[in-house]
Amino acid sequence: MTGGVEMAENVAERAQPAPPAGPGGTSGSDASRDVAAGARSALRRTRRFRFGLQAGVLVAVLLLWWLITAVHLVPALYLPSPGAVLNAFIQANSCRPVAEGLTRTVCGEQNYYLWEHLVASLQRIGVGVGAAVVVGLAAGFLMGSSKWLQIAFEPYLNFLRALPPLGYIGLLIVWLGIGDTSKFVLLFLAAFPPIVIATIQGVAGVSGDRINAALALGASRAQTIRYVVLPSSLPSIFSGIRIAAGFAWTTVVAAELNNGIPGIGALAYLSGTQLNTPLTIACIITIGLVAVALDALIVRAGHLLVPWQGKA
Amino acid sequence: MSRPAEHIDDATTAQRGPGSTASTQELLLDGVSHHYVAGSGNIVHAVAEATLRIPAGQFVCVVGPSGCGKTTLLKVLAGFLSPSSGEARYGDDVISGPSYQRGVVFQQANLYPWLSIRGNVELGPRFRGVPRKERAERAERLLEMVGLPQFADAKPYELSGGMQQRAQIARVLANQPEVVLMDEPFGALDALTRERLQADLLRIQRQRRQTVFFITHSVEEAVFLGDRVLVMSPRPGRIVLDEPVDLAATYGPEVGVEMKSTPEFIEIRDRVAGAIQIV
Repeated sequence: MTGGVEMAENVAERAQPAPPAGPGGTSGSDASRDVAAGARSALRRTRRFRFGLQAGVLVAVLLLWWLITAVHLVPALYLPSPGAVLNAFIQANSCRPVAEGLTRTVCGEQNYYLWEHLVASLQRIGVGVGAAVVVGLAAGFLMGSSKWLQIAFEPYLNFLRALPPLGYIGLLIVWLGIGDTSKFVLLFLAAFPPIVIATIQGVAGVSGDRINAALALGASRAQTIRYVVLPSSLPSIFSGIRIAAGFAWTTVVAAELNNGIPGIGALAYLSGTQLNTPLTIACIITIGLVAVALDALIVRAGHLLVPWQGKA
Repeated sequence: MSRPAEHIDDATTAQRGPGSTASTQELLLDGVSHHYVAGSGNIVHAVAEATLRIPAGQFVCVVGPSGCGKTTLLKVLAGFLSPSSGEARYGDDVISGPSYQRGVVFQQANLYPWLSIRGNVELGPRFRGVPRKERAERAERLLEMVGLPQFADAKPYELSGGMQQRAQIARVLANQPEVVLMDEPFGALDALTRERLQADLLRIQRQRRQTVFFITHSVEEAVFLGDRVLVMSPRPGRIVLDEPVDLAATYGPEVGVEMKSTPEFIEIRDRVAGAIQIV
Protein backbone atom coordinates (compact mmCIF):
# COMPACT_ATOMS: atom_id res chain seq x y z
CA MET A 1 0.00 0.00 0.00
CA THR A 2 1.43 3.32 -0.97
CA GLY A 3 -0.05 5.54 1.70
CA GLY A 4 -0.43 8.94 0.08
CA VAL A 5 -1.69 7.77 -3.26
CA GLU A 6 -4.24 5.40 -1.73
CA MET A 7 -5.52 8.26 0.36
CA ALA A 8 -6.09 10.40 -2.71
CA GLU A 9 -8.01 7.56 -4.34
CA ASN A 10 -10.22 7.08 -1.31
CA VAL A 11 -11.08 10.74 -1.17
CA ALA A 12 -12.08 10.74 -4.82
CA GLU A 13 -14.16 7.58 -4.44
CA ARG A 14 -16.01 9.05 -1.52
CA ALA A 15 -16.74 12.23 -3.40
CA GLN A 16 -18.21 10.32 -6.33
CA PRO A 17 -21.24 8.26 -5.32
CA ALA A 18 -23.02 11.07 -3.46
CA PRO A 19 -25.70 9.18 -1.53
CA PRO A 20 -29.13 10.76 -1.59
CA ALA A 21 -29.23 14.00 0.31
CA GLY A 22 -30.18 13.74 3.94
CA PRO A 23 -32.03 16.39 5.86
CA GLY A 24 -30.01 19.53 5.30
CA GLY A 25 -27.58 17.70 2.98
CA THR A 26 -26.02 19.60 0.13
CA SER A 27 -25.01 16.76 -2.19
CA GLY A 28 -26.13 17.24 -5.77
CA SER A 29 -25.44 20.96 -5.62
CA ASP A 30 -22.95 22.62 -7.96
CA ALA A 31 -20.52 23.15 -5.12
CA SER A 32 -20.20 19.44 -4.33
CA ARG A 33 -19.88 18.59 -8.03
CA ASP A 34 -17.00 21.04 -8.27
CA VAL A 35 -15.35 19.42 -5.28
CA ALA A 36 -15.77 15.99 -6.84
CA ALA A 37 -14.37 17.18 -10.17
CA GLY A 38 -11.43 18.79 -8.40
CA ALA A 39 -10.68 15.61 -6.47
CA ARG A 40 -10.88 13.55 -9.67
CA SER A 41 -8.46 15.78 -11.56
CA ALA A 42 -6.07 15.72 -8.59
CA LEU A 43 -6.32 11.94 -8.68
CA ARG A 44 -5.54 11.90 -12.41
CA ARG A 45 -2.47 14.07 -11.82
CA THR A 46 -1.28 11.74 -9.04
CA ARG A 47 -1.76 8.69 -11.25
CA ARG A 48 0.09 10.30 -14.17
CA PHE A 49 2.98 11.18 -11.90
CA ARG A 50 3.09 7.69 -10.43
CA PHE A 51 3.15 6.08 -13.87
CA GLY A 52 5.78 8.53 -15.10
CA LEU A 53 8.02 7.85 -12.12
CA GLN A 54 7.83 4.08 -12.52
CA ALA A 55 8.43 4.24 -16.30
CA GLY A 56 11.38 6.56 -15.75
CA VAL A 57 13.07 4.19 -13.29
CA LEU A 58 12.52 1.25 -15.65
CA VAL A 59 14.11 3.08 -18.58
CA ALA A 60 17.05 4.10 -16.40
CA VAL A 61 17.67 0.53 -15.22
CA LEU A 62 17.50 -0.84 -18.76
CA LEU A 63 19.88 1.86 -20.00
CA LEU A 64 22.36 1.12 -17.22
CA TRP A 65 22.15 -2.60 -17.99
CA TRP A 66 22.69 -1.96 -21.69
CA LEU A 67 25.60 0.40 -21.01
CA ILE A 68 27.38 -2.11 -18.73
CA THR A 69 27.15 -4.82 -21.38
CA ALA A 70 27.90 -2.49 -24.31
CA VAL A 71 31.26 -1.43 -22.88
CA HIS A 72 31.99 -5.07 -21.86
CA LEU A 73 32.37 -4.16 -18.23
CA VAL A 74 31.50 -7.78 -17.34
CA PRO A 75 31.75 -10.89 -19.55
CA ALA A 76 28.56 -11.68 -21.49
CA LEU A 77 28.28 -15.07 -19.74
CA TYR A 78 27.82 -13.32 -16.39
CA LEU A 79 25.57 -10.56 -17.63
CA PRO A 80 24.14 -10.96 -21.13
CA SER A 81 22.98 -7.81 -22.90
CA PRO A 82 19.30 -6.84 -22.99
CA GLY A 83 19.32 -7.73 -26.69
CA ALA A 84 20.62 -11.26 -26.01
CA VAL A 85 17.92 -11.79 -23.38
CA LEU A 86 15.26 -10.58 -25.82
CA ASN A 87 16.61 -12.96 -28.46
CA ALA A 88 16.54 -15.85 -26.01
CA PHE A 89 12.96 -14.95 -25.19
CA ILE A 90 11.93 -14.87 -28.87
CA GLN A 91 13.78 -18.09 -29.64
CA ALA A 92 12.08 -19.82 -26.73
CA ASN A 93 8.74 -18.90 -28.25
CA SER A 94 9.45 -19.86 -31.90
CA CYS A 95 10.81 -22.59 -34.16
CA ARG A 96 14.23 -22.63 -35.85
CA PRO A 97 16.36 -25.06 -37.93
CA VAL A 98 18.29 -27.58 -35.88
CA ALA A 99 21.46 -26.33 -37.51
CA GLU A 100 22.57 -23.99 -40.29
CA GLY A 101 21.26 -25.24 -43.69
CA LEU A 102 19.11 -28.10 -42.34
CA THR A 103 15.35 -28.30 -42.92
CA ARG A 104 14.55 -30.11 -39.66
CA THR A 105 13.37 -27.60 -37.09
CA VAL A 106 13.32 -27.47 -33.33
CA CYS A 107 10.70 -25.48 -31.43
CA GLY A 108 10.99 -23.52 -28.18
CA GLU A 109 13.31 -24.81 -25.45
CA GLN A 110 13.39 -28.35 -24.05
CA ASN A 111 10.68 -29.25 -26.62
CA TYR A 112 8.18 -26.75 -25.29
CA TYR A 113 7.54 -23.11 -26.04
CA LEU A 114 8.24 -20.76 -23.16
CA TRP A 115 4.55 -20.01 -22.74
CA GLU A 116 3.88 -23.72 -22.40
CA HIS A 117 6.45 -23.91 -19.62
CA LEU A 118 4.70 -20.97 -18.03
CA VAL A 119 1.23 -22.50 -18.33
CA ALA A 120 2.49 -25.77 -16.81
CA SER A 121 3.86 -23.90 -13.80
CA LEU A 122 0.70 -21.80 -13.47
CA GLN A 123 -1.36 -24.99 -13.38
CA ARG A 124 0.78 -26.43 -10.61
CA ILE A 125 0.56 -23.21 -8.62
CA GLY A 126 -3.17 -23.10 -9.25
CA VAL A 127 -3.68 -26.61 -7.88
CA GLY A 128 -1.32 -26.12 -4.92
CA VAL A 129 -2.56 -22.70 -3.87
CA GLY A 130 -6.19 -23.58 -4.66
CA ALA A 131 -6.05 -26.60 -2.36
CA ALA A 132 -4.27 -24.49 0.27
CA VAL A 133 -7.09 -21.91 0.13
CA VAL A 134 -9.80 -24.56 0.63
CA VAL A 135 -8.03 -26.53 3.35
CA GLY A 136 -6.41 -23.44 4.89
CA LEU A 137 -9.73 -21.60 5.28
CA ALA A 138 -11.34 -24.61 6.94
CA ALA A 139 -8.37 -25.15 9.25
CA GLY A 140 -8.14 -21.43 9.98
CA PHE A 141 -11.80 -21.22 10.93
CA LEU A 142 -11.54 -24.24 13.20
CA MET A 143 -8.40 -22.99 14.90
CA GLY A 144 -9.66 -19.42 15.05
CA SER A 145 -12.86 -20.42 16.80
CA SER A 146 -11.37 -22.98 19.18
CA LYS A 147 -8.68 -21.83 21.55
CA TRP A 148 -7.66 -25.44 22.31
CA LEU A 149 -7.28 -26.45 18.68
CA GLN A 150 -5.11 -23.40 18.15
CA ILE A 151 -2.96 -24.15 21.17
CA ALA A 152 -2.60 -27.76 20.03
CA PHE A 153 -1.68 -27.16 16.39
CA GLU A 154 -0.12 -23.73 16.08
CA PRO A 155 3.44 -24.95 16.85
CA TYR A 156 3.26 -27.37 13.90
CA LEU A 157 2.06 -24.56 11.69
CA ASN A 158 5.04 -22.42 12.63
CA PHE A 159 7.32 -25.42 12.18
CA LEU A 160 5.98 -26.04 8.69
CA ARG A 161 6.21 -22.38 7.81
CA ALA A 162 9.88 -22.24 8.69
CA LEU A 163 10.88 -25.25 6.53
CA PRO A 164 12.73 -24.49 3.28
CA PRO A 165 10.85 -26.24 0.44
CA LEU A 166 14.14 -27.24 -1.18
CA GLY A 167 14.93 -29.18 1.98
CA TYR A 168 11.99 -31.56 1.90
CA ILE A 169 11.24 -31.89 -1.84
CA GLY A 170 13.46 -35.00 -1.88
CA LEU A 171 11.34 -36.60 0.82
CA LEU A 172 8.13 -35.81 -1.06
CA ILE A 173 9.57 -37.44 -4.20
CA VAL A 174 10.40 -40.58 -2.23
CA TRP A 175 6.89 -40.66 -0.82
CA LEU A 176 4.84 -39.54 -3.80
CA GLY A 177 6.98 -40.21 -6.85
CA ILE A 178 8.61 -37.91 -9.34
CA GLY A 179 5.37 -36.92 -11.12
CA ASP A 180 3.16 -33.92 -10.55
CA THR A 181 1.74 -35.11 -7.22
CA SER A 182 4.90 -34.32 -5.27
CA LYS A 183 5.00 -30.88 -6.94
CA PHE A 184 1.37 -30.15 -6.05
CA VAL A 185 1.96 -31.19 -2.46
CA LEU A 186 5.12 -29.07 -2.16
CA LEU A 187 3.30 -25.98 -3.44
CA PHE A 188 0.36 -26.78 -1.18
CA LEU A 189 2.62 -27.06 1.87
CA ALA A 190 4.27 -23.75 0.97
CA ALA A 191 0.98 -21.91 0.51
CA PHE A 192 -0.93 -23.48 3.40
CA PRO A 193 0.65 -21.83 6.49
CA PRO A 194 0.25 -18.18 5.42
CA ILE A 195 -3.42 -18.79 4.58
CA VAL A 196 -4.18 -20.56 7.87
CA ILE A 197 -2.37 -17.92 9.90
CA ALA A 198 -4.14 -15.05 8.13
CA THR A 199 -7.50 -16.77 8.55
CA ILE A 200 -6.91 -17.35 12.27
CA GLN A 201 -5.99 -13.69 12.66
CA GLY A 202 -9.08 -12.62 10.73
CA VAL A 203 -11.39 -14.82 12.77
CA ALA A 204 -9.82 -13.85 16.08
CA GLY A 205 -9.95 -10.18 15.12
CA VAL A 206 -13.73 -10.03 14.75
CA SER A 207 -14.94 -7.71 17.50
CA GLY A 208 -16.95 -9.31 20.27
CA ASP A 209 -19.74 -6.77 19.86
CA ARG A 210 -20.14 -7.67 16.21
CA ILE A 211 -20.74 -11.28 17.18
CA ASN A 212 -22.90 -10.39 20.18
CA ALA A 213 -25.00 -8.14 17.96
CA ALA A 214 -25.69 -11.09 15.65
CA LEU A 215 -26.48 -13.44 18.54
CA ALA A 216 -28.91 -10.93 20.03
CA LEU A 217 -30.58 -10.71 16.61
CA GLY A 218 -31.31 -14.42 16.87
CA ALA A 219 -28.40 -15.86 14.86
CA SER A 220 -27.38 -19.48 15.37
CA ARG A 221 -23.70 -20.36 15.67
CA ALA A 222 -23.56 -21.37 12.00
CA GLN A 223 -25.33 -18.18 10.92
CA THR A 224 -22.90 -16.10 12.97
CA ILE A 225 -19.99 -17.67 11.12
CA ARG A 226 -21.61 -17.39 7.70
CA TYR A 227 -22.99 -13.85 8.04
CA VAL A 228 -20.53 -12.17 10.40
CA VAL A 229 -17.24 -13.97 10.99
CA LEU A 230 -16.57 -14.92 7.35
CA PRO A 231 -17.18 -11.47 5.84
CA SER A 232 -15.35 -9.80 8.74
CA SER A 233 -12.24 -11.87 8.15
CA LEU A 234 -12.22 -11.54 4.34
CA PRO A 235 -9.68 -8.68 4.26
CA SER A 236 -7.25 -10.72 6.34
CA ILE A 237 -7.90 -13.86 4.27
CA PHE A 238 -7.10 -11.97 1.08
CA SER A 239 -3.77 -10.76 2.37
CA GLY A 240 -3.02 -14.36 3.36
CA ILE A 241 -3.79 -15.57 -0.16
CA ARG A 242 -1.55 -12.84 -1.57
CA ILE A 243 1.37 -13.91 0.60
CA ALA A 244 0.71 -17.58 -0.22
CA ALA A 245 0.64 -16.97 -3.97
CA GLY A 246 3.86 -14.98 -3.76
CA PHE A 247 5.53 -17.71 -1.73
CA ALA A 248 4.32 -20.35 -4.23
CA TRP A 249 6.22 -18.55 -6.98
CA THR A 250 9.40 -18.60 -4.95
CA THR A 251 8.83 -22.33 -4.38
CA VAL A 252 8.10 -23.27 -7.98
CA VAL A 253 11.79 -23.73 -8.89
CA ALA A 254 12.28 -26.16 -6.01
CA ALA A 255 9.12 -28.00 -7.03
CA GLU A 256 10.31 -28.37 -10.62
CA LEU A 257 13.92 -29.20 -9.85
CA ASN A 258 13.37 -32.86 -10.73
CA ASN A 259 11.39 -33.88 -13.81
CA GLY A 260 9.91 -30.40 -13.99
CA ILE A 261 9.82 -29.95 -17.78
CA PRO A 262 7.56 -28.42 -18.93
CA GLY A 263 7.77 -25.80 -16.21
CA ILE A 264 9.22 -22.32 -16.12
CA GLY A 265 11.03 -22.94 -12.85
CA ALA A 266 12.70 -26.03 -14.30
CA LEU A 267 13.61 -24.14 -17.45
CA ALA A 268 15.19 -21.32 -15.46
CA TYR A 269 17.21 -23.82 -13.44
CA LEU A 270 18.24 -26.04 -16.38
CA SER A 271 19.27 -23.14 -18.60
CA GLY A 272 21.50 -21.89 -15.81
CA THR A 273 23.22 -25.25 -15.43
CA GLN A 274 23.76 -25.24 -19.21
CA LEU A 275 25.31 -21.75 -19.03
CA ASN A 276 22.50 -20.35 -21.20
CA THR A 277 22.31 -17.22 -19.05
CA PRO A 278 20.23 -15.13 -21.50
CA LEU A 279 17.45 -17.75 -21.27
CA THR A 280 17.77 -17.87 -17.46
CA ILE A 281 17.27 -14.13 -17.25
CA ALA A 282 14.38 -14.30 -19.74
CA CYS A 283 12.72 -16.94 -17.51
CA ILE A 284 13.33 -14.89 -14.37
CA ILE A 285 11.84 -11.76 -15.91
CA THR A 286 8.84 -13.76 -17.13
CA ILE A 287 8.27 -15.29 -13.68
CA GLY A 288 8.56 -11.87 -12.04
CA LEU A 289 6.16 -10.15 -14.43
CA VAL A 290 3.56 -12.92 -14.24
CA ALA A 291 3.82 -13.00 -10.44
CA VAL A 292 3.28 -9.24 -10.25
CA ALA A 293 0.30 -9.47 -12.63
CA LEU A 294 -1.22 -12.31 -10.60
CA ASP A 295 -0.76 -10.33 -7.40
CA ALA A 296 -2.47 -7.30 -8.95
CA LEU A 297 -5.32 -9.61 -9.95
CA ILE A 298 -5.73 -10.86 -6.37
CA VAL A 299 -5.67 -7.30 -5.05
CA ARG A 300 -8.31 -6.34 -7.62
CA ALA A 301 -10.49 -9.30 -6.62
CA GLY A 302 -10.05 -8.27 -2.99
CA HIS A 303 -11.28 -4.74 -3.72
CA LEU A 304 -14.30 -6.15 -5.57
CA LEU A 305 -15.20 -8.60 -2.81
CA VAL A 306 -14.35 -6.33 0.13
CA PRO A 307 -15.42 -2.86 -1.00
CA TRP A 308 -15.80 -1.75 2.61
CA GLN A 309 -12.14 -2.24 3.49
CA GLY A 310 -10.70 0.80 5.23
CA LYS A 311 -14.14 2.41 5.50
CA ALA A 312 -15.71 0.52 8.36
CA MET B 1 -34.92 -20.85 22.02
CA SER B 2 -38.31 -22.39 21.29
CA ARG B 3 -39.16 -22.93 17.65
CA PRO B 4 -42.96 -23.47 17.79
CA ALA B 5 -43.42 -20.48 20.08
CA GLU B 6 -41.98 -18.27 17.39
CA HIS B 7 -44.95 -18.75 15.09
CA ILE B 8 -47.35 -18.11 17.91
CA ASP B 9 -45.43 -14.98 18.73
CA ASP B 10 -45.60 -13.70 15.17
CA ALA B 11 -49.24 -14.66 14.82
CA THR B 12 -50.31 -12.88 17.96
CA THR B 13 -48.27 -9.87 16.97
CA ALA B 14 -50.15 -9.80 13.69
CA GLN B 15 -53.44 -9.88 15.57
CA ARG B 16 -52.41 -7.05 17.83
CA GLY B 17 -51.52 -5.11 14.73
CA PRO B 18 -48.20 -4.04 13.31
CA GLY B 19 -45.86 -2.30 15.67
CA SER B 20 -47.38 -3.80 18.75
CA THR B 21 -44.69 -5.76 20.52
CA ALA B 22 -45.72 -4.87 24.02
CA SER B 23 -43.84 -6.85 26.58
CA THR B 24 -45.99 -9.01 28.81
CA GLN B 25 -43.34 -10.41 31.09
CA GLU B 26 -41.30 -9.04 33.91
CA LEU B 27 -37.53 -8.75 33.75
CA LEU B 28 -35.84 -9.78 36.95
CA LEU B 29 -32.35 -9.64 38.42
CA ASP B 30 -32.25 -11.89 41.47
CA GLY B 31 -29.22 -11.29 43.69
CA VAL B 32 -26.88 -10.95 40.73
CA SER B 33 -23.24 -10.35 41.50
CA HIS B 34 -20.29 -10.67 39.23
CA HIS B 35 -16.55 -10.71 39.63
CA TYR B 36 -13.77 -11.59 37.26
CA VAL B 37 -10.01 -11.97 37.33
CA ALA B 38 -8.32 -9.01 35.66
CA GLY B 39 -5.17 -9.25 33.59
CA SER B 40 -3.13 -8.18 36.63
CA GLY B 41 -4.41 -11.22 38.57
CA ASN B 42 -6.59 -9.12 40.86
CA ILE B 43 -10.20 -10.07 41.36
CA VAL B 44 -12.50 -7.29 40.21
CA HIS B 45 -15.93 -7.10 41.83
CA ALA B 46 -18.00 -5.53 39.08
CA VAL B 47 -21.47 -5.89 40.57
CA ALA B 48 -22.51 -6.71 44.12
CA GLU B 49 -25.87 -8.33 44.87
CA ALA B 50 -28.16 -6.52 42.47
CA THR B 51 -31.83 -7.31 42.83
CA LEU B 52 -34.15 -5.54 40.47
CA ARG B 53 -37.66 -6.07 39.21
CA ILE B 54 -38.59 -4.37 35.95
CA PRO B 55 -42.29 -4.63 35.11
CA ALA B 56 -43.32 -5.20 31.50
CA GLY B 57 -43.28 -2.06 29.41
CA GLN B 58 -41.22 0.05 31.80
CA PHE B 59 -38.48 2.37 30.56
CA VAL B 60 -35.63 2.09 33.07
CA CYS B 61 -32.56 4.30 32.87
CA VAL B 62 -29.35 3.48 34.70
CA VAL B 63 -26.76 6.14 35.53
CA GLY B 64 -23.51 5.93 37.42
CA PRO B 65 -19.80 6.63 37.11
CA SER B 66 -17.64 4.74 34.60
CA GLY B 67 -16.85 1.20 35.64
CA CYS B 68 -19.75 0.87 38.08
CA GLY B 69 -20.99 -2.32 36.49
CA LYS B 70 -23.86 -0.86 34.44
CA THR B 71 -22.71 -2.66 31.34
CA THR B 72 -22.17 -5.87 33.31
CA LEU B 73 -25.83 -5.82 34.31
CA LEU B 74 -26.85 -5.24 30.71
CA LYS B 75 -24.69 -8.12 29.54
CA VAL B 76 -26.28 -10.40 32.09
CA LEU B 77 -29.77 -9.36 30.93
CA ALA B 78 -28.71 -9.84 27.29
CA GLY B 79 -27.35 -13.30 28.05
CA PHE B 80 -23.81 -12.42 26.93
CA LEU B 81 -22.51 -13.07 30.43
CA SER B 82 -23.50 -15.50 33.16
CA PRO B 83 -23.16 -13.88 36.57
CA SER B 84 -20.87 -15.31 39.25
CA SER B 85 -23.90 -15.76 41.50
CA GLY B 86 -27.62 -15.07 41.38
CA GLU B 87 -29.64 -15.24 38.20
CA ALA B 88 -31.51 -13.14 35.68
CA ARG B 89 -34.99 -14.15 34.56
CA TYR B 90 -37.35 -13.05 31.86
CA GLY B 91 -40.81 -14.14 32.91
CA ASP B 92 -40.38 -17.69 34.12
CA ASP B 93 -37.28 -18.42 32.03
CA VAL B 94 -33.79 -18.10 33.42
CA ILE B 95 -31.69 -16.09 30.99
CA SER B 96 -28.89 -18.37 29.83
CA GLY B 97 -27.96 -16.92 26.44
CA PRO B 98 -28.82 -14.21 23.91
CA SER B 99 -32.27 -14.18 22.35
CA TYR B 100 -33.97 -12.05 19.70
CA GLN B 101 -36.66 -11.29 22.31
CA ARG B 102 -34.10 -9.21 24.16
CA GLY B 103 -32.65 -6.89 21.52
CA VAL B 104 -29.40 -5.06 22.24
CA VAL B 105 -28.46 -1.58 21.00
CA PHE B 106 -24.73 -0.94 21.39
CA GLN B 107 -22.89 2.35 21.76
CA GLN B 108 -21.18 1.62 18.44
CA ALA B 109 -23.74 0.99 15.71
CA ASN B 110 -22.03 -2.31 14.75
CA LEU B 111 -23.76 -2.33 11.38
CA TYR B 112 -22.31 -4.86 8.96
CA PRO B 113 -20.57 -2.95 6.17
CA TRP B 114 -21.03 -5.78 3.64
CA LEU B 115 -24.79 -5.30 3.81
CA SER B 116 -26.88 -2.31 2.79
CA ILE B 117 -28.88 -0.51 5.46
CA ARG B 118 -31.92 -2.52 4.37
CA GLY B 119 -29.88 -5.73 4.51
CA ASN B 120 -28.84 -4.89 8.06
CA VAL B 121 -32.38 -4.17 9.16
CA GLU B 122 -33.67 -7.39 7.59
CA LEU B 123 -30.93 -9.49 9.16
CA GLY B 124 -32.68 -10.46 12.40
CA PRO B 125 -35.87 -11.65 10.68
CA ARG B 126 -33.69 -13.42 8.13
CA PHE B 127 -31.83 -15.31 10.87
CA ARG B 128 -35.16 -16.44 12.23
CA GLY B 129 -36.58 -17.53 8.90
CA VAL B 130 -39.23 -14.83 8.49
CA PRO B 131 -40.42 -14.98 4.85
CA ARG B 132 -38.76 -12.60 2.43
CA LYS B 133 -41.83 -10.49 1.75
CA GLU B 134 -42.68 -10.05 5.41
CA ARG B 135 -39.17 -8.97 6.35
CA ALA B 136 -38.99 -6.52 3.44
CA GLU B 137 -42.20 -4.93 4.68
CA ARG B 138 -40.88 -4.74 8.23
CA ALA B 139 -37.64 -3.15 7.06
CA GLU B 140 -39.49 -0.59 5.00
CA ARG B 141 -41.82 0.31 7.87
CA LEU B 142 -38.97 0.64 10.36
CA LEU B 143 -36.73 2.68 8.09
CA GLU B 144 -39.70 4.98 7.67
CA MET B 145 -40.13 5.12 11.43
CA VAL B 146 -36.51 6.04 12.15
CA GLY B 147 -36.45 8.53 9.28
CA LEU B 148 -34.10 6.73 6.90
CA PRO B 149 -36.34 5.51 4.05
CA GLN B 150 -34.17 7.13 1.37
CA PHE B 151 -31.04 5.42 2.70
CA ALA B 152 -32.25 1.84 2.41
CA ASP B 153 -29.73 1.01 -0.32
CA ALA B 154 -26.82 2.99 1.13
CA LYS B 155 -23.92 1.26 2.83
CA PRO B 156 -23.44 1.89 6.57
CA TYR B 157 -20.16 3.76 6.07
CA GLU B 158 -21.91 6.28 3.84
CA LEU B 159 -24.05 7.41 6.78
CA SER B 160 -23.29 9.78 9.65
CA GLY B 161 -22.96 8.46 13.21
CA GLY B 162 -26.49 9.54 14.13
CA MET B 163 -27.98 7.87 11.07
CA GLN B 164 -26.04 4.68 11.77
CA GLN B 165 -27.45 4.68 15.28
CA ARG B 166 -30.99 5.09 13.88
CA ALA B 167 -30.33 2.18 11.55
CA GLN B 168 -29.11 0.06 14.45
CA ILE B 169 -32.29 0.79 16.38
CA ALA B 170 -34.34 -0.17 13.31
CA ARG B 171 -32.35 -3.39 12.99
CA VAL B 172 -33.10 -4.35 16.59
CA LEU B 173 -36.79 -3.41 16.34
CA ALA B 174 -37.20 -5.47 13.14
CA ASN B 175 -37.13 -8.55 15.35
CA GLN B 176 -40.05 -7.11 17.33
CA PRO B 177 -38.24 -7.72 20.63
CA GLU B 178 -40.21 -7.42 23.82
CA VAL B 179 -37.20 -6.05 25.67
CA VAL B 180 -34.67 -3.56 24.34
CA LEU B 181 -31.34 -3.25 26.15
CA MET B 182 -29.44 -0.08 25.26
CA ASP B 183 -25.83 0.59 26.26
CA GLU B 184 -25.17 4.33 25.98
CA PRO B 185 -26.61 4.35 22.48
CA PHE B 186 -26.38 8.13 22.11
CA GLY B 187 -23.12 8.60 24.00
CA ALA B 188 -20.99 9.25 20.94
CA LEU B 189 -23.38 11.67 19.24
CA ASP B 190 -23.45 15.44 19.14
CA ALA B 191 -25.98 17.24 21.37
CA LEU B 192 -28.47 18.10 18.61
CA THR B 193 -28.59 14.62 17.12
CA ARG B 194 -28.85 13.21 20.59
CA GLU B 195 -31.91 15.28 21.49
CA ARG B 196 -33.64 14.34 18.26
CA LEU B 197 -32.95 10.63 18.78
CA GLN B 198 -34.13 10.80 22.39
CA ALA B 199 -37.46 12.22 21.25
CA ASP B 200 -37.76 9.59 18.50
CA LEU B 201 -36.93 6.75 20.87
CA LEU B 202 -39.52 7.94 23.38
CA ARG B 203 -42.16 8.17 20.65
CA ILE B 204 -41.39 4.65 19.42
CA GLN B 205 -41.39 3.18 22.91
CA ARG B 206 -44.70 4.82 23.84
CA GLN B 207 -46.16 3.36 20.65
CA ARG B 208 -44.87 -0.16 21.15
CA ARG B 209 -44.48 -0.43 24.90
CA GLN B 210 -41.35 -2.57 24.96
CA THR B 211 -39.49 -2.92 28.21
CA VAL B 212 -36.36 -0.76 27.91
CA PHE B 213 -33.16 -0.96 29.96
CA PHE B 214 -31.16 2.11 29.04
CA ILE B 215 -27.62 2.91 30.24
CA THR B 216 -26.39 6.48 30.06
CA HIS B 217 -23.85 8.88 31.53
CA SER B 218 -26.23 11.79 31.27
CA VAL B 219 -28.50 12.45 34.22
CA GLU B 220 -30.67 14.70 32.08
CA GLU B 221 -31.09 12.01 29.45
CA ALA B 222 -32.01 9.46 32.11
CA VAL B 223 -34.67 11.65 33.69
CA PHE B 224 -36.04 12.72 30.31
CA LEU B 225 -36.40 9.17 28.96
CA GLY B 226 -37.02 6.99 31.97
CA ASP B 227 -40.15 5.99 33.81
CA ARG B 228 -37.66 5.16 36.50
CA VAL B 229 -34.03 6.10 37.09
CA LEU B 230 -31.49 3.90 38.88
CA VAL B 231 -28.22 5.28 40.24
CA MET B 232 -25.32 2.88 40.72
CA SER B 233 -22.32 3.33 43.01
CA PRO B 234 -18.71 2.85 41.91
CA ARG B 235 -17.25 -0.64 41.89
CA PRO B 236 -18.55 -2.97 43.17
CA GLY B 237 -21.74 -1.59 41.64
CA ARG B 238 -24.77 -1.29 43.89
CA ILE B 239 -28.10 0.34 43.17
CA VAL B 240 -28.13 3.31 45.55
CA LEU B 241 -31.15 5.23 44.26
CA ASP B 242 -34.32 3.97 42.63
CA GLU B 243 -36.25 7.06 41.55
CA PRO B 244 -39.64 6.89 39.86
CA VAL B 245 -40.14 9.55 37.21
CA ASP B 246 -43.77 10.30 36.56
CA LEU B 247 -43.63 13.42 34.46
CA ALA B 248 -45.70 11.93 31.67
CA ALA B 249 -48.54 11.43 34.16
CA THR B 250 -48.47 15.11 35.06
CA TYR B 251 -47.83 16.55 31.64
CA GLY B 252 -49.36 13.96 29.30
CA PRO B 253 -47.60 11.61 26.93
CA GLU B 254 -46.87 14.22 24.27
CA VAL B 255 -44.45 16.27 26.34
CA GLY B 256 -41.31 17.10 24.43
CA VAL B 257 -38.00 18.78 25.09
CA GLU B 258 -39.72 21.68 26.88
CA MET B 259 -40.33 19.25 29.73
CA LYS B 260 -36.68 19.68 30.70
CA SER B 261 -37.33 23.18 32.06
CA THR B 262 -40.27 22.28 34.31
CA PRO B 263 -39.63 22.50 38.05
CA GLU B 264 -40.53 18.82 38.54
CA PHE B 265 -37.96 17.74 35.99
CA ILE B 266 -35.27 19.91 37.57
CA GLU B 267 -36.11 18.62 41.02
CA ILE B 268 -35.75 14.96 40.01
CA ARG B 269 -32.64 15.71 37.99
CA ASP B 270 -31.00 17.37 41.00
CA ARG B 271 -31.95 14.48 43.24
CA VAL B 272 -30.39 11.95 40.86
CA ALA B 273 -27.29 14.09 40.36
CA GLY B 274 -27.01 14.43 44.13
CA ALA B 275 -27.09 10.66 44.58
CA ILE B 276 -24.21 10.31 42.15
CA GLN B 277 -22.21 12.94 44.06
CA ILE B 278 -22.77 11.19 47.39
CA VAL B 279 -21.65 7.78 46.17
